[in-house]
Amino acid sequence: MAKRPRKKTEEKVVEANLLPVMNIMFLLIPALLMAMEFASMAAINVSPPKFSSAPSEPTEEKKEQEKPLDLKVFIMDDGYRVEASGQQEGADAGKSADSSKPTIGLAKSGAPDTDYDRYDYAALEAKAKEYKALFPNDTTVKISAESNVPMQVVIWTMDAVSGRDCKIGKFMKGTEEIPDNCYFWQPIIEGGAG
Amino acid sequence: MTPEQHALHEAAMQAFLAKKKYKAAVRRQKDEEEANLGMTSLMDIVSILVIYLLKSYASDPVVINPTAGQKIPFSSADASIQDGMPVFVTVRGITFQDQKVVTMTSDGEVDPSMVQNHLIGPLFDAFSEEADKAKQMSENRGVEWEGRLIVVGDQSLKFSTLIDVLFTAGRAEFKEYTFCVIRKG
Repeated sequence: MAKRPRKKTEEKVVEANLLPVMNIMFLLIPALLMAMEFASMAAINVSPPKFSSAPSEPTEEKKEQEKPLDLKVFIMDDGYRVEASGQQEGADAGKSADSSKPTIGLAKSGAPDTDYDRYDYAALEAKAKEYKALFPNDTTVKISAESNVPMQVVIWTMDAVSGRDCKIGKFMKGTEEIPDNCYFWQPIIEGGAG
Repeated sequence: MTPEQHALHEAAMQAFLAKKKYKAAVRRQKDEEEANLGMTSLMDIVSILVIYLLKSYASDPVVINPTAGQKIPFSSADASIQDGMPVFVTVRGITFQDQKVVTMTSDGEVDPSMVQNHLIGPLFDAFSEEADKAKQMSENRGVEWEGRLIVVGDQSLKFSTLIDVLFTAGRAEFKEYTFCVIRKG
């Protein structure tokens, strides 16, 4: 049987109506722009001095073994004074504190107050690392400053004592353990250093 | 021009006019074409824009919009901001709940007449009022009030002012403080 020639049918190209989709898109743009984050914000949780610096309730045995570090960092005009267990590091013999010389001097001496890089953050971080090796369970640090010290310096000091590579975001969400490169990441703000 | 040439020219002219007339008539009879706007390329641009905006969508519970001229400090911290009440402390003034509560002096300090033993009077009133409201709302919902204050400071803000703000917040029964910073890198 001979094949009947197939009738040629013209396929119509149906164009999708994009106008309603475009309407939604154009409404979405201002809505998203309003909720847009132009700079990525983060938080540093600070504790007021009234809270206990101990991370957990120590047992009697632990108390005998380990004296609390009680690390304090004072931000002064001429550098940092670092104090541990009530003794300022670098103070003259027989003195618990020494106002004449800082534990860590300025990285840029003579720089104006507006130069936030004038403090030696690297040296402070190295000092925090040393203390962390001696007191691995301690996580708090008391930070105080002279009245005219700018907030940026206080923040970078907190970064230095917690470790500048310390990322505790995942720990705060409860998905990860606290990383090893985090030293003293629970700052307590104290007033009256000078 | 000879009469033959003139006649030829006239004939050519008439033929040209007749052709022009015919073309105009054809054009008039033709249906008007609908102009179609090319939507595909526009759609591509808008889709890319929407995806980009969705990616940078602020997922934090609190959207921080700094006040004019405020320079938020930078930090290597990466913890996300938890729900709380933001207070904007700059060298020009202190803004809380969209209201400028305190105006600073030219030195960037709180007016000494407003401060008494670290307590900033107008700020304490504003904090107490909002804290009472928040406590009442938490009570109604049957949850405990966290009392978190988000301090959105300025890079050049003096430590003494910061301490005064924290002290005032503590007196107004705020229990937790968070410094808002811009993530570096």
